[in-house]
Amino acid sequence: MDLAEKLEILADAAKYDVACTSSGISRQAKEGFLGKATVAGCCHSFSADGRCITLLKVLMTNVCIYDCAYCVNRISNPDVKRTAFTPRELADLTIGFYRRNYIEGLFLSSGVIKNPDYTTELMIDTLKLLRGEYRFRGYIHAKAIPGTSPELIETLGYLSDRMSVNLELPSQASLRRLAPDKSGLSIFNPMRQISESIADDRETHALTRKRKTTYLAKVKPAHKDRAFVPAGQSTQMIIGASPESDYHILRLSAALYKTVSLKRVFFSAYLPVTNDERLPSTDAIQLNREHRLYQADWLLRFYEFGVDEIIDQAHPFLDLEVDPKANWALNHLDFFPVEVNTAPYEALLRVPGIGVRGARLILRARRTSTLGEDELRKLGIAFKRARFFITCKHKYAGIGVEFSPESLRAQLAQPIKGGSHGRRSAKTAPGQLSLFDSLNEVTELPKPATTPLPAPSDEKLLDVGSSDEPELLFA
Amino acid sequence: MSQPELYDDLAYSYDGSLEGLLSAIFAAYERHEHPRDIAPEGQVQLRLGQQLSFIPTDRSHALRVQRGLCGRCGEGAFNALKYAFLSDEPQAGTFIYEFVRYAMDSRAHSECSSCSHKNHCSGICTRRPSAHGIMSQITHPKVEPIFRLARAVDNERHHMLQFLRFEALEGNLWYARCNPKASVVPLIMDHFSGRFNTQSFIIHDEVHQMAGVYSGKDWYLVDLGRDSQSELNLPPKTAMEDLMAKSWRRFYRKVAVESRYNPELRRQFMPVRLWKNLTEMQVDLTESF
Repeated sequence: MDLAEKLEILADAAKYDVACTSSGISRQAKEGFLGKATVAGCCHSFSADGRCITLLKVLMTNVCIYDCAYCVNRISNPDVKRTAFTPRELADLTIGFYRRNYIEGLFLSSGVIKNPDYTTELMIDTLKLLRGEYRFRGYIHAKAIPGTSPELIETLGYLSDRMSVNLELPSQASLRRLAPDKSGLSIFNPMRQISESIADDRETHALTRKRKTTYLAKVKPAHKDRAFVPAGQSTQMIIGASPESDYHILRLSAALYKTVSLKRVFFSAYLPVTNDERLPSTDAIQLNREHRLYQADWLLRFYEFGVDEIIDQAHPFLDLEVDPKANWALNHLDFFPVEVNTAPYEALLRVPGIGVRGARLILRARRTSTLGEDELRKLGIAFKRARFFITCKHKYAGIGVEFSPESLRAQLAQPIKGGSHGRRSAKTAPGQLSLFDSLNEVTELPKPATTPLPAPSDEKLLDVGSSDEPELLFA
Repeated sequence: MSQPELYDDLAYSYDGSLEGLLSAIFAAYERHEHPRDIAPEGQVQLRLGQQLSFIPTDRSHALRVQRGLCGRCGEGAFNALKYAFLSDEPQAGTFIYEFVRYAMDSRAHSECSSCSHKNHCSGICTRRPSAHGIMSQITHPKVEPIFRLARAVDNERHHMLQFLRFEALEGNLWYARCNPKASVVPLIMDHFSGRFNTQSFIIHDEVHQMAGVYSGKDWYLVDLGRDSQSELNLPPKTAMEDLMAKSWRRFYRKVAVESRYNPELRRQFMPVRLWKNLTEMQVDLTESF
């Protein structure tokens, strides 16, 4: 088997890992070393599904001793050709691609060959080659394999920039059902270990940094040159393979941000890649649900929203028609309209159509001038959406539409750019007149409501959501 | 020809370099004139009754404009000007001139007399808070064009960082061809020379007939349109190159998840105009699909 074919098989096996980021660490170039890293990361290509390719995302091997129901590489799947990289092959390939500016670094994950420790040792060998022999300073994301001994995780952490442990499924019960070889503890232990080591390492590094006055004795960090997982850790879970609600998922991810200080929680809409009676037999991929969850996640991380503001137990699923921020605004119309020339940053962030960059630009621009409609358009905010929720120079900008939840909702549910392109194109907005209304009524069969999950009644059976604190699920 | 009146309609032309443009701005102050258009030589389109004068480049004049602007408005304003200058917008010169006029008329926002760096800053200040500077007046008609152009050039620069693709040539030389919308090669050389370090490379901008050459130690720019009319004479590709490109293409195709197929999204992030220089978007008929 030649290298290109091997690469093809192992990339095919790794493509369901959603995390593909090269962000979180800035490393200057150094003479005699290859590569550097920037805080924002850099996407080098975009595949046909529109996802970014920034790292060479491959498995060390797709041989696996586990039998997780949702995974293509499970031991009981006979259709997959099995192969493995040698550490040297993979390191050569990474350097070759990096020198051609194809990638920003390596994303290394693996199926479990023999046992978790043996697999991790193979990964460590590869990273040692890259960091040592090739003097590689680019980005490396390593996936920790549940069940690896802490010493090996430690070594791996000092060689990589970001680590992640896949949570796989949002609750203990689903995990037991779909991934019988993994337990909540075997996933949560390395997660906790990584987060504690990052905190420790940061502390010792801070102490060794040069200060003008130091009252403490000098401390030497365990590893002189490399920090432990400097870009932090992330995790991912599959959405839609098990019956958890969005409420549960968002509470869990908020708790993870707090307890193990994750950088990112990734969601991956369940794709039917295998036939297993334990899995929902649906062909509909919940891409819209995944999209809304990411939007909610962004609100948590950048828009100073609390979980309870986005979702509550009475409505456990996010609205699929309007995004969570617009939904909040529609439910809190008493907060609006805000005056763009005087409103504080936090209030501007709550306006649909004004994002972090837009709010900052507004703060900057209004120091020297008063902002009206023309100025706001120049700043590049989505004025078409924002106008219902703001006043400029004390003049309400959204004239023509009634200021009530129903009519504003119809406006905000319209696809962006009139639906000329994209997945949500060619949809009529609710309340919009259509020539073909009567036609549709006849030909189109009534569709079920948009609640994405078939069996919410299973919830009690699976003991999901019975505990108040999501982190208790893994304690 | 009679001497031009003070408020006659004037146009300046310069040699196309940043120093040339700054010299032209200097000349406008020196002669007490207000040119309506400033454009590179050969690209000036005169209005009816407009008089043209060519301003020769003078480095010391250009430096004085730079110092003046940095002293008055901080380095951020000058950086924005530099970025805006590199854009392909034909009116960029005029926008920059008007921006400098406006900026120099504005109030200096901090005192130099109390600054601890005043003896060794040589007029180029890096210590001023940029928050109250001229670049915050984003919506002002004289500042907005500079802000817009600078942002567009910065975006194009980022596109090049993302989508430049190098090939290995015989003799340990790496070559990349690109077709950017602005002449951003000078802005990306620092990034790539740091990243590849000891690896020498050439970045060739087909649109602006310009090449950035890195020798493994330091980099310089070559104007291909002016210095040589002939094609670049490049050594042949290495034997590994085809194999690597082929592996990358196979990886690229496999990594997409079929059931999420979304070409609009891809086009949005990766503009089609850049595809012709992307290794993974080339169709190789010898490869199996």
